[in-house]
Amino acid sequence: MSDSAIESPVQMPPRADKSPRRLPLGLAYALGTVTLVLLVWGLASGRGWVSPVFLPSPLRVGQALLRAATEGYANATLWQHMGASLWRVFAALIGTMAIGIPAGVLIATSRAGRGILDPLIEFIRPLPPLAYLPLIIIWCGIGEPSKILVIGIAMLAPIVISTVSGIRAAGENQIRAARAFGASRWQVVAEVMLPAALPSILTGMRIALGAGWTTLVAAELVAATRGLGYMIQFAAQFLVTDMVIAGILVIAGLATISELGLRLIERRFLPWIGKS
Amino acid sequence: MTDLASQAVTLDRAQSARSVLSLRDVSLNYGAGIAVLQNLSLRIERGEFVSVVGRSGSGKTTVLNLAAGFLTPDAGQVLIDGRRVTGPGPERAVVFQDDALYPWRSVADNVALPLKLAGVPASERHARAARLLEAVGLAGEGAKRIWQLSGGQRQRVGIARALAAQPEFLLMDEPLGALDAMTRELMHGLILRLWQDSHAGAMLITHSIEEALFLSTRIVVLAPGPGRIVHEESADWGRRFLSGNDPRALKSEPGFIAARERLVDAIYEREAA
Repeated sequence: MSDSAIESPVQMPPRADKSPRRLPLGLAYALGTVTLVLLVWGLASGRGWVSPVFLPSPLRVGQALLRAATEGYANATLWQHMGASLWRVFAALIGTMAIGIPAGVLIATSRAGRGILDPLIEFIRPLPPLAYLPLIIIWCGIGEPSKILVIGIAMLAPIVISTVSGIRAAGENQIRAARAFGASRWQVVAEVMLPAALPSILTGMRIALGAGWTTLVAAELVAATRGLGYMIQFAAQFLVTDMVIAGILVIAGLATISELGLRLIERRFLPWIGKS
Repeated sequence: MTDLASQAVTLDRAQSARSVLSLRDVSLNYGAGIAVLQNLSLRIERGEFVSVVGRSGSGKTTVLNLAAGFLTPDAGQVLIDGRRVTGPGPERAVVFQDDALYPWRSVADNVALPLKLAGVPASERHARAARLLEAVGLAGEGAKRIWQLSGGQRQRVGIARALAAQPEFLLMDEPLGALDAMTRELMHGLILRLWQDSHAGAMLITHSIEEALFLSTRIVVLAPGPGRIVHEESADWGRRFLSGNDPRALKSEPGFIAARERLVDAIYEREAA
């Protein structure tokens, strides 16, 4: 130890920081997995193990992606498809939060609120979006509102349930302290319950976004002219498999970016998470 | 320190008429017929320091929760100056064993919350929070986060927060229960000085007989099954500490030791020797 220290006096600090070392290891595993999948995929299509109709090569999928981005595909460029889908998912998320968080507060804080809203949420929660899609179309038509509504309904339960459980997790004495300082019912909600529930609500948003991306394709099944789900279905009708896979990859990419964005928000604005 | 503390916590209300917080013949049951407290009466005047001791299950914390208004008695009344109170109120501040601070607010914003709820403008509550933090020995720590503080520092923040809205009564539920012995002794001096400067009436729930004796002007012993007062003891060691006596010498006095033995006998319901 002392020998090596003499040989190289400018030594790295001793292994004090373990976590920054672990992250690259996890990243390495992740990259390794991706590389392996690409390798097997490339081999399977390149060697002709699988017909290109079923599995085009990674290169052709990349070219399809480029083609969609530059020339466009299915009446619009990739960016326009992305824009349409992102708008639907995030409009649904914001609308659902505007309804779901107050609903969660009511369920968690009032017996009447719980009695009225809980059965409704429990009714909606297990329904598959494809089951209520026809009903939404009958009620709201085939326009943009029904698409956002279908996605929003899929997001409602995670937002409400995470709000309820977050509020229930607020410390009893934290609530009592605020009451002892003269907080009104509403002030207890605003100053204690909602901040305490934020970490849980953020987790609910992550689950809701997942549900939103899952529902997107169903929402864009009917009378859409733009959107990633529409693009995939359009391509599938003509067996343009490379474009189908390209669309799937774009959705996966967007979902990953929004997940990372939420994690960033969590780290930046909710630094107390996990600290007692 | 004392000067700072008095600057921070002395108030107009301090000079106002003497208030009394009283539990009158209160009884409380849990579930069907299991009496937690039975016909308990307890009076705390401003300027008094009353400790409640007793075995686990004797209902000590229930007494505090009734006084704070977190629980409503099944029989009897909780009164302030003869007026019945039915819920919590800013004239009765509470310090909790688990500190009950808000990790999403900075240290200073935790202390300032009661002022915010009382409608004090932002600039004034920041200034007062800073003075309160100074009074509890945490000057300059206001921007820190709760999790960056030690257990003892957190309890000081909890005490500063409780005193922020200048309560008439300070109710403390084993605030030092989770602290080490050294920190507890430092906190004793701090609590006594803040109590003196705030002119509040204090109620302390504690497991430590010595702590109760050293801090209080009166110690009340609860016995379980159902909870009731079985012994009361007056004390003045806290006041003598405040007038400059050495704490170790005070705790070695024969009178202190004799009082401690009386309390132990009362707590374990033994016949005095």
